[in-house]
Amino acid sequence: MESRILKPALGLYVALFLLFLYGPFVVLTIISFQQGPEGGPQFPIIEWSTYWYRHIFGLTPPSRIAPLPFGEALLRSLTLAFMTMVVSTVLGVMSAQAFRRKFKGSGAVFYLIVLGMMVPGVLTGLGVSLLANNIIGIERHWYTTAFATHVAYTFPFAFLVMLAILNRFDSSVEEASWSLGVDPWTTFRKVTFPLIFPGVLSAMLFAFTLSLDEFPRTLFASGRDQTLPLAIYGTFAVEIHPNIFAFGVLTTLFSFALLSVYGILMAMSVRRAKKMAMQEDIE
Amino acid sequence: MAYDLQLSHIGKVYDNGTPAVIDFNLDVDKGEFIAFLGPSGCGKTTTLRMIAGFESITSGDLLIRGKRVNDLQPEKRPTSMIFQNYALFPHMTVRQNVMFGLEIKQLPQAEAKRKVDRILDKLGLSDVADIRPTRLSGGQRQRIALARSLVVEPDILLLDEPLGALDANLRKSIQNELKLLQRDLGITFVFVTHAQSEALALSDRIVVMNAGRVEQISPPRELYTRPQSIFVARFIGANTLISGNVKSVSADLVTVDTAFGPLTAEMPAVAPAPGRPASVVLPAEAMHVLPATMPEAEIRANHGSNMVPCTVTRLQLVGHILQIGLVLPNGEAVSIEGHVDKYRDSLSTGSAAVVAWHPANATLIAQ
Repeated sequence: MESRILKPALGLYVALFLLFLYGPFVVLTIISFQQGPEGGPQFPIIEWSTYWYRHIFGLTPPSRIAPLPFGEALLRSLTLAFMTMVVSTVLGVMSAQAFRRKFKGSGAVFYLIVLGMMVPGVLTGLGVSLLANNIIGIERHWYTTAFATHVAYTFPFAFLVMLAILNRFDSSVEEASWSLGVDPWTTFRKVTFPLIFPGVLSAMLFAFTLSLDEFPRTLFASGRDQTLPLAIYGTFAVEIHPNIFAFGVLTTLFSFALLSVYGILMAMSVRRAKKMAMQEDIE
Repeated sequence: MAYDLQLSHIGKVYDNGTPAVIDFNLDVDKGEFIAFLGPSGCGKTTTLRMIAGFESITSGDLLIRGKRVNDLQPEKRPTSMIFQNYALFPHMTVRQNVMFGLEIKQLPQAEAKRKVDRILDKLGLSDVADIRPTRLSGGQRQRIALARSLVVEPDILLLDEPLGALDANLRKSIQNELKLLQRDLGITFVFVTHAQSEALALSDRIVVMNAGRVEQISPPRELYTRPQSIFVARFIGANTLISGNVKSVSADLVTVDTAFGPLTAEMPAVAPAPGRPASVVLPAEAMHVLPATMPEAEIRANHGSNMVPCTVTRLQLVGHILQIGLVLPNGEAVSIEGHVDKYRDSLSTGSAAVVAWHPANATLIAQ
């Protein structure tokens, strides 16, 4: 009785959820194939074409619509995301490793770290900007102040991912290594790290993608040179053409590609964890 | 002569104040096979992990070959440990697993390879040397763990329930291999187990632990026949305990007043004072069950001067072994096994019988 009503209701809910999730992207994708350069960002589609995709890469004859000024912003965002990824992951692995043993104040430190992803982004951005301008008196740049806020934001994610991975980690392999006469640092490099590596990769991907499309913090903290999300936002102020949609489709595809890599790596990690579990189960 | 391993008043208290190990004393000769035996949570694994250096030592001194190693990191101790789950490195092949400890020691490549090949060959692992251990059976992984630990040539090999994960048949055969290997190598083994059959079969001496304390340290035979505490008497073998008070003490016998009348037992190392509460520990092997119709004088003469009446509750033939269930006048149930030829058809279920034993086979434990 219950399932006859509940199941379809839940099914409908999920269908609607997916529609809202992917609807905008579908519309965006359709309009990105609008005819150019006359066609605007609206229905109906006058004629299907890849004009706006070619426009992004400067492959169309010059027209009154300027190419998107994204080249430098894209490079900046990728660089920033890469830097953030490296630093956050290293910090994440190190701090999660530290949390494997209870230490004085570990509870407080845990919440302080996780706070970085909880605090509203706009506040952090504004705070950093005020701190830099008025108190320390340094110039804001994407590679200084914005970089620091990106790390503060993505580090907790990397930390939590690594915490989950290390939680499942069977530390007797480390003890086995020590007891063979191998020092803790070599043990970490040769035993622990290879075994947690899939987890490390997913922490890296988390940090990278989060940094790449970070907006509110960067808006205030980045200063003169814009990152990609800021540059995209900037073009909205003038006139919207389907080239932004085409660009959106491309970046979304890029994100999906990253997610797929992430998915594959996680599957690998789970399989390895299962193997380890099998090794223990026989007890 | 210096001992290979010495634990002197070793104690361990956890951070939350719970004592795990209390005043542990043991001297181990080189080449001895020692078993720590006890129920789970008795502190045997904790003690082993303190020797390995994985657990800090709260009090006392731990000496390896005369050198105090309390504060030495695990990788600097001349010990090597075998884990219950083997703890093999799943991302390395069998050969890489075994080679790992030698690589770090920066032995010349050729020498390291020779050592690895020799131990792989010795343990019958040459055929599987280049595959990952996750694909191998429990017995093979057990051998890999052994090879990996032995190749670094430790002074002391520590084994934490290494046979616990194996099925019964495999356990038997690896038990034998282990014993031969240990004799062959002549290094000290410290072995943790909760299975008394393993401890009794393998070790030169057994340390029985309970609730963090050492109950008794004895060779297997002595532990089995002469338990020194009530706990050991109940934990090892199949003993029946009859309690009472010490009545009198003679040169080699103690007489105890019990509910079944006066019973005698072999004199313990320290003579108990008359009047003290004590228990007569009666191994199942020492008991003879006889029909109540047999004349008392004949029983005393042939089967022992101690006699207790009983009732037969169960007779079950398993192959050539007869399992006999008895109940004593105080309601206590006793199980005895004997060769079927010994009993023939002398007993029947529900009939009255007599249990008799020689005083020398019974042990007295004063409380």
